[in-house]
Amino acid sequence: MDFVPTHTDLSPWTPGLVSLAIYALMVFMLIGVILWLAGWLGEKRVNPEKLRPYECGVLPSPGLRPPHPAPFYLVAIFFLIFDVEGAFIFSWAVAMEPLGWWGWLEITSFIGILGLSLVYLWAKGGLEWGVGRP
Amino acid sequence: MKLATTPEPNIADRIINWAHANSLWPLFFGLSCCFVEEAVAFTARYDIARFGSEVFRGSPRQADVLIVSGTVFKKAAPVVLRLYEQMGEPKWVISMGSCSNSGGMYDVYSVVQGVDQILPVDVYIPGCPPRPEALLEGLMTLQKKIRSRERPARTVFHLSGGNQGSSGGLRVDGRDKARDARGPGYSGCGIRGTAELPPHFRGSRTDLMWTPPAPALELSAPDQQLAAVLAQRFGAAVRPLAPVTDMLTLETDPGRALEVLRYLKSEATPRYERLEDLTAIDESARNPKADADFTLVYHLLSFGAASRLRLKVPLSGSEPTMESLTPLWPSANWYEREVFDMFGLRFRNHPNLRRLLMPHDWVGHPLRKDYPGRATEMAPFTRAEAEQFQPMDAAELLGREGDNENLILNLGPHHYSTHGVLRVVLALRGEEIVDLDLDIGNHHRGVEKIGERQSWHQFIPYTDRVDYLSGVANNLSYLSAVETLAGIEVPERAQYIRVMLSELFRLSNHLLFVGTFVQDLGMMNPVFYTFREREQIMDIVELITGGRLHPAWFRIGGTAMDLPRGWKEAVSNFTSTFAKRIGEYQALIDRNPIFLARVKGVGAISLTEAMDWGMSGANLRACGLEWDLRKKIPYAAYPAFDFEIPTADAGDCLARYRVRIEEMRQSLKIIEQAAARMPEGRYRTADYRYAIPSRDDTLRDIESLIHHFVNVTRGPKLPRGEAYAATEAPRGEQGYYLVSEGQSKPYRLRIRAPGFANIQTLPLLAGGRYVSDLVAILGSLDYILPDIDR
Repeated sequence: MDFVPTHTDLSPWTPGLVSLAIYALMVFMLIGVILWLAGWLGEKRVNPEKLRPYECGVLPSPGLRPPHPAPFYLVAIFFLIFDVEGAFIFSWAVAMEPLGWWGWLEITSFIGILGLSLVYLWAKGGLEWGVGRP
Repeated sequence: MKLATTPEPNIADRIINWAHANSLWPLFFGLSCCFVEEAVAFTARYDIARFGSEVFRGSPRQADVLIVSGTVFKKAAPVVLRLYEQMGEPKWVISMGSCSNSGGMYDVYSVVQGVDQILPVDVYIPGCPPRPEALLEGLMTLQKKIRSRERPARTVFHLSGGNQGSSGGLRVDGRDKARDARGPGYSGCGIRGTAELPPHFRGSRTDLMWTPPAPALELSAPDQQLAAVLAQRFGAAVRPLAPVTDMLTLETDPGRALEVLRYLKSEATPRYERLEDLTAIDESARNPKADADFTLVYHLLSFGAASRLRLKVPLSGSEPTMESLTPLWPSANWYEREVFDMFGLRFRNHPNLRRLLMPHDWVGHPLRKDYPGRATEMAPFTRAEAEQFQPMDAAELLGREGDNENLILNLGPHHYSTHGVLRVVLALRGEEIVDLDLDIGNHHRGVEKIGERQSWHQFIPYTDRVDYLSGVANNLSYLSAVETLAGIEVPERAQYIRVMLSELFRLSNHLLFVGTFVQDLGMMNPVFYTFREREQIMDIVELITGGRLHPAWFRIGGTAMDLPRGWKEAVSNFTSTFAKRIGEYQALIDRNPIFLARVKGVGAISLTEAMDWGMSGANLRACGLEWDLRKKIPYAAYPAFDFEIPTADAGDCLARYRVRIEEMRQSLKIIEQAAARMPEGRYRTADYRYAIPSRDDTLRDIESLIHHFVNVTRGPKLPRGEAYAATEAPRGEQGYYLVSEGQSKPYRLRIRAPGFANIQTLPLLAGGRYVSDLVAILGSLDYILPDIDR
């Protein structure tokens, strides 16, 4: 089957684009007006107490800049690793038919290897988010 | 502002006022008892949502109405002020209840005499506590005020003039308010009753009265044996005191006390496993003069023998030092800190001897006899003080100044899940709790000090407010001690009425527990159902006593009145449906996987630890110990009832929940039995020496009339002596220790509160767990602030 593009060349004279631009302008203006009204209308009384962070009604302890120890970086790394899978699978999916069964076999073994590594990671406790863990 | 000077509202004013008045957003902030009625106002029967105040906001940034619901404590006043300041414009303040309006019943050193000294107030709601309807009325009054007096348009459009939000200024003592307890025109005389108060007792007329001595207790065989063994082992260092009214009482020297206590805990027969209570007495105002300046009083409890023992240690000096008991009982930690705070006694080798209830920068020791009891004897607490005396810094509290590894976070005093003004200070690594400490005393109403100036009768209403969810069950604890001390026989009918009402309040308390506990865990529904049944109970309580939260309906020797017509139908209407309701709650909650994941295995404590830390009530029974004062050391009419003691083994949040659910079934059984077998007869003793004579009798004979007059005005004279009595209150063992000098008022009144001991275990339960677990644990302990701080 021949590849039939759904869009022709973009031209600034296409009437659809003009209306899109007007629409976008209106959206920005509306948002602007709403934001400005919300910011300007009403009474403003600023004092140090109001600007202070709320911490259950008590003064927060001063000078606290602790590091972020939450194990977010582990999650982030795992996400990155497994997200790469998506890049391969989607590109294979687009070209599935030309690649044929050989391609299918390749991608299946790739998914299998990733699956195994997930099992390994799980068994190793890398996904545990528990007390006393990093 | 005068109405006459307010200009006519223009169309913009009208629109803005309409919007303001119909969408008021109250802040979710409870200070005290009043908040319970406030919370009831947003459940189904009262439905505050009708007024556009649907969901109370958890953050001041999202709220525009501050309902100051309850007592404003000097320790908590900076918090109240900060929350108000952190709300956006425009904002309004409703002062709910007598305490917030004027200090109310609590003219005491720790209470601000009216929140209008630190905040501008728009609407005052009278009552103690006001009913939920009164809050709705207050809200409508505020709406009316907004519509009629506010002209917000010019303010909103940044033009000069116009007004919106709280416009009244602060009230200043002597200018536009009077804190004088005597009322206007009485400045020449003393406050009622002052003349007979400590330290002088000059005007006391009770010295002219006679009462029989306190009944002497015949010591049981094991007690006599123990006294003999102690005499053999310690010689003259341990002296049994006689006569006693309630338990074996020993006196020992400060140097030997720890040794004696260690022996009693680990070697004696029976073993006294629990430190029931530790407190002190200031002996300086004794009449005749005492040898010691202070006495430390240790109350111990033996689970095995179901008996108690009192050990008294006389101390001399203005600030005597005593060896700390913490190596023996970890629970002594807070008890000793409280003694230090209130009396100024020091404890050697105490891990952390600093103030517990009073603010860290407080001056003086309030329970000393020479310390002024009334707030009105002190300078007014104004906005300047509220800005100056800030709560102790969290990092300093934890001893972690300069800790750059962990996040130091305050949870409370203003927080959904702290159930009152409890402040938990956390050191967090991620979400894990590395370190935890508590800052209590934000709800310290100085009730033990008040006890020393109220007559034996007058104190009853204060007991209701000690555990404000348990109503008359508090009266029972106090009266048990009074009646032990004076040897008063309570008629059987009165005993049954007392049992029935106390059990109704246990149900009411447990219903609130179940609802709020699971709500803290994210389950919104059950609280609406449990409050529905709670209101049914409140209706019965109202029918019988005329009050809701604080009936103050028991009297010395019985109750205030007989049961009214129609009580039985009301009770049986409730009991016939309630068993099914418990099943419904369980169907809603018990198998919910999220609920189970949040509570199972969370916050577990072993039985030995629970005993060592002085836990009681359902929290103790959840660790597997079948211990319930109603069965083990029975009081009132409980021996006549057939019920069981539910227990669980795990000692975790789930176990505590399950025990309470089962306890509701048992309470229901007791109520049914009490209603079915309610005996005939007097509802109050005929011993008019102590009891208030019934109206019929006062109209018939002069003796009763005289006794009525004396007992109501001056108060009955109780014999010299001391007595401790505890009951199984809904929240655990609540005990009253009374020391009488033969006056119409106690010389010392001490409350052993279950919550105080229970909450002290929090670092043990929540340390090393997540913040979300902490919320579950707090809910499961079922504490209440006035019960902790008193």
